[in-house]
Amino acid sequence: MSTSEHARTAVPGPLEAGDDGAAAASSPVRAPRRRQAPWRRWLEILLLAGPGVAVFVTFVIVPVVMAGYYGFFKWSGYGPPVEFVGLRNYELILTDPKFLDALWHNGFVLVMSLVLQGPVAIAIALLLNRRMRGRSLIRVLVFVPYVLSEVIVAIGFSLMLHTAGAVNDVLDRAGLGALRQDWLADPDLAIWSLMLILVWKYIGFAVILMLAGLQGVPDELREAAAIDGASYWKTQWYITLPLLGPTIRIWAFLSIIGSLQVFDLVFVIWGQYVADTAGTSTMATYMVANGRISGAYGYGSAVAVVIFLVSLVVALVYQRYVLRRDTEGALTGGAA
Amino acid sequence: MTSQNRRAAAVPAVVLAGALALSACTGGAAPEGTTLEEGEPYTLTVWTNITTGPGKEWFDDLAAEFESSHEGITVEAQHIQNEELDGKLQTALNSGDAPDVFMQRGGGKMKDMAEAGQLLDLTGTAVDSPELREKLGDAAYEALTVDGKLLAAPQLIQPGGIWYSKDLFEEAGIAGTPETTDDLYDAIGKLQDAGITPIALGGKDAWPAAHWYYFFALRECTAETLAATNESLDFSDPCYEKAAQDVADLAGAEPFNEGFLTTSAQQGASSSAGLLANHEAAMELMGAWEPGVVMSLTPDQKPLADLGWFPFPQVDGGAGDPNAVMGGQGGNSCSAGAPKDLCGEFLALMSSEEYQEKFYDAFGTIPLHADAQDVVKNEYDEQMLDSLAEASSVSDFLDTNYGQQVGTTLNQSVVELLTGDTDPAGLVKAISDAAARS
Repeated sequence: MSTSEHARTAVPGPLEAGDDGAAAASSPVRAPRRRQAPWRRWLEILLLAGPGVAVFVTFVIVPVVMAGYYGFFKWSGYGPPVEFVGLRNYELILTDPKFLDALWHNGFVLVMSLVLQGPVAIAIALLLNRRMRGRSLIRVLVFVPYVLSEVIVAIGFSLMLHTAGAVNDVLDRAGLGALRQDWLADPDLAIWSLMLILVWKYIGFAVILMLAGLQGVPDELREAAAIDGASYWKTQWYITLPLLGPTIRIWAFLSIIGSLQVFDLVFVIWGQYVADTAGTSTMATYMVANGRISGAYGYGSAVAVVIFLVSLVVALVYQRYVLRRDTEGALTGGAA
Repeated sequence: MTSQNRRAAAVPAVVLAGALALSACTGGAAPEGTTLEEGEPYTLTVWTNITTGPGKEWFDDLAAEFESSHEGITVEAQHIQNEELDGKLQTALNSGDAPDVFMQRGGGKMKDMAEAGQLLDLTGTAVDSPELREKLGDAAYEALTVDGKLLAAPQLIQPGGIWYSKDLFEEAGIAGTPETTDDLYDAIGKLQDAGITPIALGGKDAWPAAHWYYFFALRECTAETLAATNESLDFSDPCYEKAAQDVADLAGAEPFNEGFLTTSAQQGASSSAGLLANHEAAMELMGAWEPGVVMSLTPDQKPLADLGWFPFPQVDGGAGDPNAVMGGQGGNSCSAGAPKDLCGEFLALMSSEEYQEKFYDAFGTIPLHADAQDVVKNEYDEQMLDSLAEASSVSDFLDTNYGQQVGTTLNQSVVELLTGDTDPAGLVKAISDAAARS
């Protein structure tokens, strides 16, 4: 034991300058010694990474595998699953128009999030990147919705957008009674109400990312462009935006994954049942309604697997074709 | 494949094997419970959903009396928030570490537990005695019996019906309470003329909307048809489509509160119960728990003074009995590994006259025990007891009877019926499909 501890304390550089006998262990000797005892390295890896890996395996890997296993059964959730049904659950999911509706809603949220949030976030970030009065206050205000819990946001908006809620009341009092709508239950409007809430809630996160990205754009480049006579807009278009590329691509990636997993807002605002008829159901609300609430744990697990596969495919395709440049750059940078 | 890859692939295989092993060691045939030696100390674990003041006192009294009359026995209770109870219970039952006694909601869930061998057959225990059966009523026992096995002891019944504001009825000039659907439509018309929202509906939670379907089905279908469907899940009898048509017709009269689809049932003043509590709607179809919910939502949190109740009106030409009652029936089960006789004695004390009377004081729900029924104070409680006494049959709510899968589809389909997304034939088809899947 004492030798191993000695060896470990002997590794760091500062000891070389130490005034005790350990200084005798000079660097040429140390390197071979580490190679001689690989188990010691493994012990270190085990000790340091072990707890993290154990938690990850227990709470992520095992549940994913178990969901895959349960997905082949018809199972009420009481007692062990015994009724093996093969791929029948998957067949039912993929032919259920309600699931396809939910998938379509996820796709809509995905595209609209990118289209609506991206340009607005970049514009706000550019604005907040300039010196102006009240800049920090505005930065905080833009970020506040992101900090709020989804449940609180959902309850607040469901009260305001309810037919008898604040929004319609304000319209009435402003003499615009003709504009009042059933913002949440009207299938033509509900998904747009959802989009509005999502944009309001998540724009802050996008803005913060873009602001961070803007800090990485060297002032020299902008100055050089200014000296060459480029206007403000041309500078943003030809210099800021391309250099912001990696940030935008990462933000889009996070936004896409988030869009595929929308759950809390819909579940709290539309409850367990109304999301379907209002046209705001998502894959995740479908999973909970037809799995846990229906007491069909095998079916619900199969839905979870489908969501996992959809997300995985989207993530891999995105990484392969969009993030490739960024990740390759990082790898070559690391190897150099 | 490199060695590293192969090692990574080995992990899921091990987990899978573990899962299979796990599933192999639980479950089994009809459990007989355990038996305690005379004087052997034991801790009886009990899970309830009673989390508030008077109810907890009721339980503490019960536990103290049971402990004093049973030497060496300790009662250890866990009171779990109602919405969390089912999930925790399911985990506990599956892990084989279940409480001895726990709240039972009956219906499809109870059948699932029984099929998994997780429930004790209480036949022949103290709670199954002829005296208690007579006092609590055979109907209550039958609802909790599957294949001749008593899977839970009855504790309460919460009949559903229409709750209304007497003041608003008077304001609209409605004399008496509706006895037929024609009377109901008449009342709706008068309320609408007086500018009052006739019916509060919490459609966001779906089951309040679905209650309208359940009760129309209760009046359209014979008791035999309803009972047979509980087993067969066969909805081909035309009465089921008729009931759906009744719901569609009712929705056509637009009696519900504005935005009922996104109105919740019980949360806050804008919920359907809140509308009734604040005189913003005249009626709500709800179970016997309504007065308590309404009380918590009135401006001063006091009971609503003009709250009245009447049984669901009879449908013109319906095959169902106008005296048939539908309501939530609840009780308590014992888990497979619990000491059988002790469990039966505990449940018998719980349903005894004394604790049924105290139960009314604590919860305000009508007592099931015949000798305890003289304690009720409210007019509507007496009305409910009367209708139970005259009842030709007592059915649980349909979603409970049909099990979660069909029940959820039914509730969902009723919402779609209200929005016009489906028609009566579509509703019957949807629940039939769900029944075929479950």
